[in-house]
Amino acid sequence: MNQAVISCLHANLPAVEAVLKDIELQGITNITCLGDLVGYGPQPNEVIELIRDKKIPTCQGCWDEDVVDGLDACDCSYPSQLAEKRGHFAHQWTTDKLTKENKDYLANLPYSIRKDKCLFVHGSPNSQHEYLLPDMDAFAALERVENARAEILFCGHTHQPYIRELADGSIAVKIKNAASKDIQEKEIQLPMRRIVNAGSVGEPRHGGTKATYVVHNEVTNEVKIREVEYDLELTCKAIIDAGLPPIFAWRLKNGFEFAEQAEDASHVCER
Amino acid sequence: MIERWALVSGLKGDLDTYELIQKDLKKTPGNITLFVLGDMIGPEKNCNRLLHRLINPKSNDLQPWCIYGWWEEQILLESGYRGDQRAEALRINKGEEVVKSLTNAVDKSFLDWIAALQFGFVELDCGLIHGSSKDVGENLTLDTPPLTLLDRLTRLQVNRLFTARSKQQFHLELTEGIVNSEVEDLNGNRKKEQKVPQKAVIGIGSGKNYTLYDVGTDNTQFLQAGYKSEKRIMGFGGL
Ligand SMILES: [Zn+2]
Ligand SMILES: [Zn+2]
Repeated sequence: MNQAVISCLHANLPAVEAVLKDIELQGITNITCLGDLVGYGPQPNEVIELIRDKKIPTCQGCWDEDVVDGLDACDCSYPSQLAEKRGHFAHQWTTDKLTKENKDYLANLPYSIRKDKCLFVHGSPNSQHEYLLPDMDAFAALERVENARAEILFCGHTHQPYIRELADGSIAVKIKNAASKDIQEKEIQLPMRRIVNAGSVGEPRHGGTKATYVVHNEVTNEVKIREVEYDLELTCKAIIDAGLPPIFAWRLKNGFEFAEQAEDASHVCER
Repeated sequence: MIERWALVSGLKGDLDTYELIQKDLKKTPGNITLFVLGDMIGPEKNCNRLLHRLINPKSNDLQPWCIYGWWEEQILLESGYRGDQRAEALRINKGEEVVKSLTNAVDKSFLDWIAALQFGFVELDCGLIHGSSKDVGENLTLDTPPLTLLDRLTRLQVNRLFTARSKQQFHLELTEGIVNSEVEDLNGNRKKEQKVPQKAVIGIGSGKNYTLYDVGTDNTQFLQAGYKSEKRIMGFGGL
């Protein structure tokens, strides 16, 4: 059976509708969302209501958390002061637009969802703000999945979809302790684990303009990245009409990579 | 001159033990730096005399370099230095009595000094902390999964991590390791084999049990304050 995993919708209704349509056309009914329903985009209430309507299980994203907590993402998550200013503006705009009911909905979203061997989170099991980049240290990546007691970790937040398999691992250790003079040696085998990043529906940053999400076959364990075209112009017009920074529209049109990503992506906000 | 670090923790107000260690170190050859990795205070004893001595070393004392530990974190929490939080974990686990004993054991005049202590030091390629780079209360032991140890080392970007929280004395080296990584994204597939760089985690002990580290040879000695040197367990140098 196939399941679909979507992430980072970012209040882009035409993109969300197109992706849900694509999922429906494949006959998939099992969908999980990894959060960031809002932020940057012009239709926060509409996107939340669509997800609620369809009863799609959803984790809380970094934007969902920040908007309800009245927090701005800390300075460290922006690459420049200008980007930070824009981010704060989008945050304020979203906070003003959201209905009380939708804010409550975001506030009560869980940090993670577990289904058998699959764990679904927004950023990492440690934090909604931690980026698990595709080429991060392989042992650190494996540690995230292993310590979360999962076999497959589904995440988002980077807006770049990928599938990473970590296999055939082992670590050898040599131990001396105060209680004995002997030196002990042992080798520990590491389990095979996978990290699947669902990319972004509403704010792709993979270099193209298409919305992305992933489909996982629970029987064969195969994972496929899907790219979906949507009516970009519609979203861009809505961004301008809403008075949001025009660069948000420009970014969507150009599929600009890393537009708002911090320089040190491994940095975790300690706020 | 040989460069050595003396690593001490868990004194919990015990000035006598601290003086014994100072005395030991005076007889130890080399250029010694003394690090006190937290838990200078605790609920069992009045800690004021030890704190006073750490802040105002005697003229022939080795200067102590201190960081905060789990018990310091508890008193800072309880005294309102960490916002609205209080020492709830301590209260739940050990009861109100222990919370009271702790706050009674330390004069308020020391709190600002405690609050100014750092979480850890990074010296050369070594991290010196109380618990782990993730949390001051995290126990790293001989039985902690190597993946976790590696992560805690990576977080501080160090090759050696000195930790005290578990009270254990050990020197665990990650000597070898490998993992194969395969990434598939919209640009295609890429495979990489990653190896474990040589790294180590060293448990320094607590109270009378402390550790001497020889910076040049990477040799650890697990010592007990006041014991003659022949009882010392020698480290495995040259690993
Ligand atoms: Zn996002
Ligand atoms: Zn995010």
